Parts: sequence; structure tokens; C-alpha cells
Amino acid sequence: MARDLDIVSRRGRLTRGALSVWAVLVYVFLFAPIVLLVVFSFNANRYGTFPITGWTTKWYGQVFHDYQIRDALTTTIRIALEVTAVSTIVGTAAAFPLVRSRLPFRSGIRIAMVLPIMIPGLLIGVSLLVLFTSVFHQTLSPTTAVIGQSVYTTPFVLLLVAARLQGFDASLERAASDLGANTFNRLRYVVLPLLAPAILAGALFAFTLSLDEFIITLFLIGSHNTLPIYIYTQVKFGITPEVNALASLLLAASVTLIAAAFVLPPAIDHQVGES
Amino acid sequence: MALPGSSPGVPATQPADVALPLGRPGRRTWSSWLGEYAGFAPALVLFGVFFLVPLGLIVCYSFWQTVDYNVVHHWTVDNYRYFFSVPTYVSTFWATVWVSFAATALTLVIAFPFAYWLARYVPKQYQKVLLVLVILPFWTSYLLRVYSWLTILGPEGAINRFLHWSGATSKPVSFFLYDRPAVILVLVYLYFPFAALTLYASLERFDWNQFRAAMDLGATPGTAMWRILLPQIRPGITTAVIFVFIPILGEYLTPQLVGGAKGVMIGNLIVNFFQGAQYTRGAAAALLIAGLIVVLLAVFRRSLEVEDPYGT
Repeated sequence: MARDLDIVSRRGRLTRGALSVWAVLVYVFLFAPIVLLVVFSFNANRYGTFPITGWTTKWYGQVFHDYQIRDALTTTIRIALEVTAVSTIVGTAAAFPLVRSRLPFRSGIRIAMVLPIMIPGLLIGVSLLVLFTSVFHQTLSPTTAVIGQSVYTTPFVLLLVAARLQGFDASLERAASDLGANTFNRLRYVVLPLLAPAILAGALFAFTLSLDEFIITLFLIGSHNTLPIYIYTQVKFGITPEVNALASLLLAASVTLIAAAFVLPPAIDHQVGES
Repeated sequence: MALPGSSPGVPATQPADVALPLGRPGRRTWSSWLGEYAGFAPALVLFGVFFLVPLGLIVCYSFWQTVDYNVVHHWTVDNYRYFFSVPTYVSTFWATVWVSFAATALTLVIAFPFAYWLARYVPKQYQKVLLVLVILPFWTSYLLRVYSWLTILGPEGAINRFLHWSGATSKPVSFFLYDRPAVILVLVYLYFPFAALTLYASLERFDWNQFRAAMDLGATPGTAMWRILLPQIRPGITTAVIFVFIPILGEYLTPQLVGGAKGVMIGNLIVNFFQGAQYTRGAAAALLIAGLIVVLLAVFRRSLEVEDPYGT
């Protein structure tokens, strides 16, 4: 193979070796803080850091018995479910005209819809704070946080579904139409099943992003707490093993959801292909 | 691009699914128009009312006045004048630009050799898994990724405990925390996945035979990289720069948690203004950042259109 030729030379091998070492260091850099956090959450010492004086799961027990954490968890999940519903519906619906219609200024609209991902969340949070408090005279609540988070999560769903729609053979739909299917039936039996993997992935991403969202929520949540907000208020007083345990649980939840977002959609795809 | 449809009678130059609306071919009524655009309505409400309008509001606020905690609709540039009349604010503004620049440069310098290694030396079947491992931290909580560094850098953190335990120091050193270097380190950590992903995406498409051809014709590896590789992956590099630099400009949490008084960035100023109910001054500070972002996006618009970092 041609690719192997430049590895044969001594210089090529050296470069390759040096770059491999670099890559290993990069992975250490990326995972060391997270791994340490999890290790400290099982550490018996009450300072939440080194030295490791023994292993315990008692911090996890405290997490589960803390009523503040339980409150925050309920709020977090409620918000995440609502954000997922809003962004999945809005994002999926918007993907159709974005991909299919002869929209004027299509690339401009595309950029405007992706902008919430790019601009700092701080600006979204601050500007919505002004809108809700000074214009709508609304009390801040989990609902205002849902709206703020949805602005940020919807573009992710939109991009995923639009990508799927782009590679979608429109003649399938035309065939269904020729066979007498009306708009609803075409949507129900042809389009949605084919888009399902992308919609599911989008929903899982939206849920995860909402679960972990911090800065927009900080401005819009009012007197309630989500888990990230709760952790933030605790971190101000220093590192505690309980927060390490809670953080590890939240990390595990995110990783599980993201793994699902990568694994489940192709599985559905396979099923659709078979049936 | 849409797949070519198989409808007869449609000029080949037109994508078939655009030329032929679904439903009744050949007839475009207002209802088909409605069907085509109705999906936009919820997005229009969400992005219009809750994204564009608030941003417009911030623009207005930055030109209005606060009198006795009430916002008066009186147009003025006083908020900006005030911002630039306080030396701490001005230096914070420049420090923010500087920190963003340094963190972006460092992120790219670390990410490029990594992406190069991944695209060139790793067998194709493992590339995807290794890439997912890099992106994985990005999908975990942003707050926790910053927090996790406290357990390493903090006065009670891993480094200090280790130094103390090994006898190198007798009391905790706060050198690692509460200053700009700590902020930059954590920012590099946070935004590395963005840079690695975009750089890999463009390196992956590069045809390494061109590289070898250049070297066969006598180019040194350095020349080949500079003259052959770099020009071809330039859009990828620009995208990486944009996607790292812009979010960092608005950073709040990282300087707040690991920066201390010496690591303050403009995001912290904005939050302080808003928490102190100085909405108009906060709006002006926010707009300075937003303006910078708009300028950057306008300048680099073309390369952003070429490259789509989310792979759509």
C-alpha cells in the first residue's frame, strides 16, 4: 500500500512515533481531569482531592438523600423533557422548508438558524433576561429557562434532520403520492420512518444539552435550581466529595445518553431497511 | 444536493424535486405554497421572538439610559462612553481579546499534529472511534469540565497535594489558579474538540499522494506541507479558528471559576452589570462582544459556507 511507503523511511518512522506520543498526551489531557473527578468521588477523604485515604461510596449515599439535589434533579429532568419536545418538533418542522423549498436567502436563513450555537450563550441568556423581565414582565421560572435552552438546542436537531433530509430520495415520496397517499399518509408512512433515526439522535442530543446547560439557565431559571446551577452554587464554597459524586453521576448520564445517540439511530435505520 | 429524480419532462438542469412540488405535479397553488413553508412557522416564532428580537432589544438598550434604575428611551452613546472611560473595563476588553487569541492559537497548535496523526497514520477503521473519544468530553457538562480542573489546580487540588506530599512545598501554591494562564489552559481544554474535529474533517479529505508527489519532485516535508497541504486545508483552519475564538470571547464561567480577580474577562463584566441592574451599561458591553463576532463572521463568511463543521 502506498500509505505505508513513507513509514518505511527512518524519518517517516520518527515523525510517526513523535506524533503518536503527542496523540497519547492529548488523550491524557482530555481525560485526566474527568477520571480524577470520578476517582475523588470514591475517595474517603473529606476534602474531595488527594491523598486517597480509602474507598467509599458514602458520598453517593449522601447525594441520594439530599432533598436539595432531589429538587434540582426533578426540575432538571422536567426542563430537559420540555426542551426536547420543543426543539424536536420545531427543528424537524423547519428542516423541510430549509432543505426543500425555493427559499429566498436560503444560506442567510441557514446561518441565522445556526447562529444560536455559535454565539456565546451568555448573550442569549442576557438578552432573554431583558426580554422576559423588562418587556413581557414575566417572573423567571423553569418555563423561561425552557425557552432559552430551546433557542440553543433546536439548531442541533435542525442540522441533523436537515442532513438526513438532504440525502433522502424524494422520488419515494412521489411514488407514494402516485399510489394515492395523501400528505398525512406520506408523512406517516414514508417520510417520518425514514427520518426517524435523525429525529431520535436530535432528541437525545437536545436532552443531553439541556441536562448540562449552564449559562442560559443561570440567567433565566429564577429562584429554582437545576443540577448544574446547584453544583455551581456549591463549588463557590470549594470542592466537596458530595459534589464530586453528583458530578460523576451527571457525567455518567451524559455519556450514556450520547452513546445512545450514536448507537440507537443506526440500529433503527437497520430495522427500517429490513421491513 | 438533491438526488436526481426520475420525472420525465423536467429539464435536466433543474433538480427534479424542486421543480416538481409534491402533491399535484405542475400546479402551484397557495395551499402548496403553505405546505412548503408552514414548517417554518414554529421556528420563526422561536428564533424570531426569542432570539432575534432580544438581540435587537440589547442593541436598543445599549443606546438608552438608566435613570434611577429605570430604563429611559432616550438615545445616547453614554453607555459606550462610560465603558471606555473606565480603564479597568478597557483593559479587560483587550485582555479578553488577547486571551481568546492566545487560547485559540494554542488550541490549534495542539490540535493540528493530533488531527494530522489521526488522518494520516491511523488505519481508517479506528479513526472514527478515536475521533468520537475526542468529541465525547464536548458532550458532557461544560460546567463539570471546568470544575474538574479545580480538583487539579486548586489550593487543595491534585498538583498542590502532590507537591506537598513529595516535600517540594510546605504550603499550597496558588500559582496554578486564579490567573490568566489557568484560564487559557482550561479554555484550550474546553475547545480542543471543536478544533480537532474541524481540522480532522479537512485533513481526512486530503489526498496524501499529492504530498508524496511533491516530495518526489524534491520538496522537503516542510515545503510540501506549506505549499501543498496548508492551502488545501485552509478553509478547515479558518472554521476551527472561528469556532474556537467566538465562543471564548463570551466566556463567563471559566474566568469565574479558575481566573479569580486577575483572570477577569468581559463576560464577567457583563454579568456584573446585569446582576447590578445596570441593564443599559451591560447591554453596551455585550454589544461590543456581539459586534466583534458579527465582524468576524462577515469577514470569514465565505470559508464558513464552504465548510460545515457539523457535517451536514
